[in-house]
Amino acid sequence: MTLIDELIALLGPERVRHHPLDLLVFSKDAGVTTGDVVAAVLPETAQEVAAVVRIARRYETPIVPRGAGTGLAGGAVPVSPGLLVVLTRLNEIHDVDEVGLTAWVGPGLINLDLSERLEPLGLHFAPDPSSQQACTIGGNVGTNAGGPHCLADGTTVAHIYAAEMVTATGEMVTVGSEAPDQPGLDLRAVVVGSEGTLGIVTRVLVRLTQNAPDVATLLIGFPTIEAAAAAVSGVIASGLIPAALEIMDQPMVKAVENFVHAGYPTAAGAVLLAEVTGTADTVASGVDVIRSVSETNDAIEIRVATDADERALLWKGRKGAFGAVAQAAPDYYLHDTVVPRTALVEVMTKIYEIGDRYELQMLNVFHAGDGNLHPLVAFDAKEPGMLDRVQEAATEMVRVSIDAGGSLSGEHGIGLEKRGLMNLVFSDIDLDAQARVREAFDDAGMMNPHKVLPEGSRCFDAKGVRL
Amino acid sequence: MGWITVLPPERVDLDSCVTCGLCLPVCPTYRLTGDETASPRGRLAAIDAVDQGIAPVDERFGEIIDFCLQCRACETACPSLVPFGRIIEGATAEVRAQTPSVEGRLRRFGVTTALRTIPLLRSGAIALGLLQRLGLASRGLRTIPLPERSARGGSWGPGEGPVATLFIGCVADAWFSDIHQATIEVLVAAGYRVEAPSSQTCCGALAAHDGFIDGAEKMAEQNRAALRDAEVVVVDVAGCGAHLKDDPEFGHKVLDVTQVVAEAIDDGRLPVLEGNGELVAVQDPCHLEHGQGIIEQPRTVLWAAGYDVVDADRGGLCCGAAGTYLVDHPDTSSELGRRKATAVANTGATLVASANAGCEMQLRRFLDDGYVVRHPVEIYASSLAGEGHMSDD
Ligand SMILES: Cc1cc2nc3c(=O)[nH]c(=O)nc-3n(C[C@H](O)[C@H](O)[C@H](O)COP(=O)(O)OP(=O)(O)OC[C@H]3O[C@@H](n4cnc5c(N)ncnc54)[C@H](O)[C@@H]3O)c2cc1C
Ligand code: SF4
Ligand code: SF4
Repeated sequence: MTLIDELIALLGPERVRHHPLDLLVFSKDAGVTTGDVVAAVLPETAQEVAAVVRIARRYETPIVPRGAGTGLAGGAVPVSPGLLVVLTRLNEIHDVDEVGLTAWVGPGLINLDLSERLEPLGLHFAPDPSSQQACTIGGNVGTNAGGPHCLADGTTVAHIYAAEMVTATGEMVTVGSEAPDQPGLDLRAVVVGSEGTLGIVTRVLVRLTQNAPDVATLLIGFPTIEAAAAAVSGVIASGLIPAALEIMDQPMVKAVENFVHAGYPTAAGAVLLAEVTGTADTVASGVDVIRSVSETNDAIEIRVATDADERALLWKGRKGAFGAVAQAAPDYYLHDTVVPRTALVEVMTKIYEIGDRYELQMLNVFHAGDGNLHPLVAFDAKEPGMLDRVQEAATEMVRVSIDAGGSLSGEHGIGLEKRGLMNLVFSDIDLDAQARVREAFDDAGMMNPHKVLPEGSRCFDAKGVRL
Repeated sequence: MGWITVLPPERVDLDSCVTCGLCLPVCPTYRLTGDETASPRGRLAAIDAVDQGIAPVDERFGEIIDFCLQCRACETACPSLVPFGRIIEGATAEVRAQTPSVEGRLRRFGVTTALRTIPLLRSGAIALGLLQRLGLASRGLRTIPLPERSARGGSWGPGEGPVATLFIGCVADAWFSDIHQATIEVLVAAGYRVEAPSSQTCCGALAAHDGFIDGAEKMAEQNRAALRDAEVVVVDVAGCGAHLKDDPEFGHKVLDVTQVVAEAIDDGRLPVLEGNGELVAVQDPCHLEHGQGIIEQPRTVLWAAGYDVVDADRGGLCCGAAGTYLVDHPDTSSELGRRKATAVANTGATLVASANAGCEMQLRRFLDDGYVVRHPVEIYASSLAGEGHMSDD
């Protein structure tokens, strides 16, 4: 028997994709790298996941968990020939606890489906990545996903109480627990954001959040991106923490407007999308604060959307931003650095300069509230030498962010595409410690090898030869 | 390796996909399977691989392409405006051309020959044979096709005034003549002179979706000759309209009947009738919502007909009728049909409005006898004539 035979014996032929064309189709996520897939399997239960892992282990085939494949860092792309374990069919919601505000959900559940299903109960799942209509809860756990509304609510790690997972040896363990504040190491926080390198998450206990009684969304046009950024600083300095503060620059606004036709001001140098939630009173006073700060910063247009349809339309534009970029060029490379809010304007200016110097087409969209920048380079990978140029520019952009006191990744993860930059933020000692954590979970290097940590991170022993 | 037909998928279209995956959740086949190879992005990746010469048009490629319903929900969801419908039609044509099978030849006969033989169709015999081939069991049909009911060659309304050219189609003329009658009545009431030139033929959508591009092109040529001089071509089957609107020559003159009627209601050329307190559930056919971007107009028409309009499954998945799809993928088609029927049943309405004959048949297959399914314009026509409530049928 071969690996494929055994997998088919376990799951049946429909749930084991291994035709060469299938392997090509599964060899990418939403990032730019293409991987090497041995087969893609679609288990339906945690037990099947465990059985798949045990089979793969016997054949010494690395395993890569995959949700919807909307990751932007190549996290779900196998580097050395690997088996993709696709979790989309584990998508049930069990045990919704309306009092304790929790639910157990399958990792393959689509983020937005969870919130839509909870709507009648007046509840939602707070992390709302812009890809929320497509990405899975398992992927959100994998990357510790953030989203426009994580400014006030925190990222995924703040909304996961426990995760059941299958380890590299095929055993089932649960990290975290139903009771908050467990004694001992918080392994749950280690697993959230581990990008599939510690095990395959098969069930998650999520924290549910009550829907706000009132919401207002503001769309504000500014003459320049500097003015928009200054308004953001002004709003935060006033003591108000809005639910979301998002900026898009003019090229991005134009691309987005072409898709949503929501009346985004395409003549403005930058657009700020702000949202305030709470009781009617808090919302009204929040709107007033944002309005007056914006006016002080030369806002040229202020639109307040209070009805659900108009709000949804405005958000649809923001959330389709990355996709809309293809109107400019077939490929894009997306950055995900975080800088202190005070350095926002300075770093943005430098990033535009770098783009100009490398003659790259840039579009910008970012979570301004928490300084999470997503400068985006639109390019055509088929142009010779282009990818190298893009990556060189990328390294420079990351460096200016880090020099300004920032970090490498806000929310998309390191995966494959940014692991070469880990040395810019972490010392050898830091990286070694991270590699040791990983070994404690997976001594054979089976789970999503080559991801996150650069080669040679385990620097105090056989240097650089580990998987 | 590579493409051999005249209209294969094009590189510029393929390049517009950035593989973001935002189209995955709206795709019915992805929703049912969770499988990337059954998703829009996966299909585009497969087509891209063939285009780049990395993969052949083989049996597996054919499976991946044929499993698509061509509902074009992905097109509406796509922020980078990938013209998925055009790409998948090109890929389907390649599959037909490069993987000929007995089944394929049978289909070619069924779809292109029978649909073009309009006079025969009117006798009903071939139409019935065709519909049976398409698996549209008699449950889905509504009338006995009678030659005298055909709209072909007719003209109605005032001697002068704006002329609306009615597109009569093939299956619709034989089996859904009630819809044409209602369309004619309402258009005449709105002040149009309605003409249905007899030289027109089947729209060719089924043939094109099935990959028989040359057959579809022949029909398109005949229709161009027949419709070239029309001021406006009114279509009352969404599937035909979506296809005709893409015609380079007269596509810009094509309007769905709900667009024309809703506009006449807005202008006051047609009345807003008194509310009757009855519920009607509106279903959004893919070829109306995604193919033509029409969502509000059927609602306007039903509201003006006096009904309380509820959404059956707004933003929901395709009902699974999808042309010839239900022959090749009966399980998927039935699963989607059942889901749609459940969504309709959950509204509490027993009158259902659908602007596409294919969806109507599919709905009827999965709804029990307590439900009435009609075209929005039929419902309006009935209110206009003061015939009481459609749901009492
Ligand atoms: C248009 C667009 C907008 C985006 N916006 C945001 C945003 O606002 N914020 C944000 O944070 N991200 C964003 N992303 C990135 C991406 O959507 C997130 O990283 C998301 O969490 C990935 O989920 P997924 O289901 O697609 O996971 P995948 O891409 O399939 O996987 C992501 C990582 O998680 C691992 N993984 C997946 N499932 C499991 C599991 N069950 N157990 C263990 N590991 C697992 C994978 O191995 C991989 O390393 C965006 C992406 C796109 C295309
Ligand atoms: S939404 Fe559009 S760009 Fe994104 S994967 Fe789908 S087809 Fe490609
Ligand atoms: S046309 Fe419909 S079935 Fe085909 S890929 Fe698009 S959404 Fe899926």
